[in-house]
Amino acid sequence: MTVADHPKCGAGGLGCEVLKNLALSGFTDIHVIDMDTIDVSNLNRQFLFRAADVGKPKATVAAEFVMRRVKGVTITPYYGAIQDKGPDYYMQFQLVICGLDSVEARRWINATLVDMVDPENQESLKPLIDGGTEGFKGQSRVILPTLSSCYECSLDMLTPRAAVPMCTLASIPRQPAHCIEWASILEWPRIMGDKKLDNDDPEHITWLYEKALERAKEFNITGVTYSMTQGVVKNIIPAIASTNAIIAASCCNEALKIITSCSPFMNNYMMYMGDEGVYTHTFEHEKKEGCPVCGTLATDYEASGEWTLDEFIERLKEKPDIQIKKPTLSTERRKLYYAGPPQLMEMTRPNLDKKLKDLMDSGEEVAITDPGLPFSLRLNVIFSK
Amino acid sequence: MAASTPSGAPSSKEKKYDRQLRLWGANGQNKLESAHIALFNASAAGCEILKNLILPGVGQFTVIDDKLVEEADLGANFFLDEESLGKPRAERTAALLGELNPDVKGNYLVDSLSNTLSAKPELLNPRSTPFTHIVIISPVPTPLLLQIPIEIPVFLVNCVGLLFTLRISAPLHTIVEAHPESLVDLRLLNPWPELSALAAEKTKNLEVQQEMDGDEGMSDHEHGHVPYLVLLLKYLDDWKRRPEGDGTHPSSYKEMTAFRSFVQDKMRTHVPGGSEENYEEAVAAVLKHVRKAEVSEYAKTVLDHPACANVTSESTNFWIIAKAVKQFLESPEQGNGLLPLSGGIPDMKAESSGYVALQNVYKNKARHDAALVQKNVQSILSSIGREPSSISLEEIEIFCRHANFLRAISFRPFSAELSTDEFHKKVVKDAFESWDADSALINDYVAFRAFQEFITQNNGRAPGDTEGPLDEDTVEMQRLAKAYLSEVGCSLELAERTENIIGELVRYGGAELHNTASLAGGLVAQEIIKIITQQYVPGNNTILFDGISSKTGTYVL
Ligand SMILES: [Zn+2]
Repeated sequence: MTVADHPKCGAGGLGCEVLKNLALSGFTDIHVIDMDTIDVSNLNRQFLFRAADVGKPKATVAAEFVMRRVKGVTITPYYGAIQDKGPDYYMQFQLVICGLDSVEARRWINATLVDMVDPENQESLKPLIDGGTEGFKGQSRVILPTLSSCYECSLDMLTPRAAVPMCTLASIPRQPAHCIEWASILEWPRIMGDKKLDNDDPEHITWLYEKALERAKEFNITGVTYSMTQGVVKNIIPAIASTNAIIAASCCNEALKIITSCSPFMNNYMMYMGDEGVYTHTFEHEKKEGCPVCGTLATDYEASGEWTLDEFIERLKEKPDIQIKKPTLSTERRKLYYAGPPQLMEMTRPNLDKKLKDLMDSGEEVAITDPGLPFSLRLNVIFSK
Repeated sequence: MAASTPSGAPSSKEKKYDRQLRLWGANGQNKLESAHIALFNASAAGCEILKNLILPGVGQFTVIDDKLVEEADLGANFFLDEESLGKPRAERTAALLGELNPDVKGNYLVDSLSNTLSAKPELLNPRSTPFTHIVIISPVPTPLLLQIPIEIPVFLVNCVGLLFTLRISAPLHTIVEAHPESLVDLRLLNPWPELSALAAEKTKNLEVQQEMDGDEGMSDHEHGHVPYLVLLLKYLDDWKRRPEGDGTHPSSYKEMTAFRSFVQDKMRTHVPGGSEENYEEAVAAVLKHVRKAEVSEYAKTVLDHPACANVTSESTNFWIIAKAVKQFLESPEQGNGLLPLSGGIPDMKAESSGYVALQNVYKNKARHDAALVQKNVQSILSSIGREPSSISLEEIEIFCRHANFLRAISFRPFSAELSTDEFHKKVVKDAFESWDADSALINDYVAFRAFQEFITQNNGRAPGDTEGPLDEDTVEMQRLAKAYLSEVGCSLELAERTENIIGELVRYGGAELHNTASLAGGLVAQEIIKIITQQYVPGNNTILFDGISSKTGTYVL
């Protein structure tokens, strides 16, 4: 077995499994990055942790456990965010396996690895293997940066949680979740002022739960529970050991095939569904033309010249394949809108009420940056007739 | 399961199991905590299966294995360490697995399956066994397999190289909570009087524009907040009464699209934004929700099952309530051809009070239906000599809510498969005739069937596990595969895929790779959890995984 310098991101549900699998598959040098500490709700699946470990960094505890159990493997933990490290760090590995739970972190590592590819240097292409689970379902995929479909290419496959309109929360709640969101989004800042809501603080959750319960009573809505309050506020995704085991092993299986070239690796996406029987679907996810990360051209975007810049931004925010929150926009010739710093924001704010046709020509390229985007997005804004 | 604390905050157990309770609830967790799993053969795959059952809190496990720990075990099994060398595998794996969850009781026996069957028959006798579910990791010769009573659920696993198979044998398995995507059943074409009355009342002045406060017309605000369910009920009624219509509901695709425009045209467009969200929701719901309420094939299978007709004092609650539901369905005074209503409605644009009123009409009807079913249950219980109140209303209500998604799965016993009965022959032949037969995992099954035969003839030795030349075992495996195909009545030529799989099996000599064992551990545990909790739907009855092409296949063999 080849000795592989090999990192993986995440020491959570998938991460624990991946470390074990790699160590017992003959990998001898593994790096692991995770910024989380161990929580009691991890113990139902993250099998390298015990009740006494609660509060300690996941990366460190996981690395030590696997090294103790499996002889001859070196695991180097890093307790921190993947974004703390740059291309120099990622360049030292043969491939990267990700078991991340956030879209932002995945987009970041994907964009970073795509950016690292130097066509002159074979070694600069680091395969990215990505896994994710939700309840009895999961997926694993192999990304060859710049060569095959990347994470960004498939962003529209995510089904974002439909945001509830503010007026529903404020005046016409119908569901228990509406009452909970009202409590966390509107009532907390109203009563608590600048005090930050901490989703992990049981007292804060209890406060929200009680407020939500009161509101539900007022509107004759049933079903608000503490557990639901926690689920809505923290956006909890159900997770179990068995699904993690399946997806992590699938990821490692592909890592082994890539490193040893023993058989062709997956091309390039496997979905696993275990709710009803056992069903897997393996298919080739196609590279998206005009992908803002691995594509080379700006994407065309149809807009009306009559829209105000504000309306244009609101519509961009709704697009599932873009996912931006506080964007800064500019064209070659002018600053359209700057979300910060304050002076620039003040200076560009009047543009929000102007019509697009008064700010740019049809077909002009608009560059968009956003805290949620690990790259700059380029759109050719074409005015529809 | 400890109950929540009075304030509603979770108990420490609920905190630990939070992420799974959101899937199978306290009910599923209680069943998990009452289960006792026996593992025969503490291989890497076996231990990985147990790991994924111990973590979520299965009640007990017992490892049964008669081998001593060798160096080779350490390279594949995470639940053995250097200290374990030379000690009994059963003892060491039970100890290291036990560390995973202090709430789970671990036991071990230094013994083999064949010796357990002959020397301790009470352990595998359905009346005296402490085990609720049995996991067996191959190799197990066929005669031993056939000695295990069919009353105990058995999960037989072959795990070799990059391949594994799972065969489930279990008594009739019933499911109430299959967790379909949605339980919503709106009955738009079968409204009951209270629903029709509510719709008529809420749409009385729908077409009248309010001119001034207090007149009989509907303001734009009110009009834009009439729930879409109510709109559809009203317009379905109007559609039936159209002078040019034939007095029926829209049914063909063409009529449905025409009905959609019919609704769309009634939208007020002079409002801000030029459209009304509730009308848009109504239009979007037409194709999905405007249909006759029907009894699903799955529910029919349950209600027409002999176990439903022949309820006795031995019957489980499932079959007693199923019989009561069938009576409900068939009684002109009760369901009159319809199942009990599930009672849920989706969220929709509406005022809070209007939505809650509509929701209550559905909830009340569901409660009313469940009360009728409860009456039927009580008289069935009396007739079989059980206490009429021994099944709670809550259990009946959950059952009624899921009535259209009930499942009863008959897992065929090992004997039916391994004797190659007519049913088995047909399944295999059909699989070979399908369009994707060349790449289908039925080819893998043929190789594994030869594997089972080889093990049986060689006293538990796996092909390739030999000091001698591998070729001999390969030739023997190919001969066994051909013999099996001839028994089934298929072409005697081995498919290329089957030959490749035989090559894989012989090359690994029955040995497990950790990574495949880990995948098997996840998948098999998942199926065991579904069977224990009686929630979600397990695969029936053979699942094959091929790590070379990352594919799975399921066959009823
Ligand atoms: Zn891309």
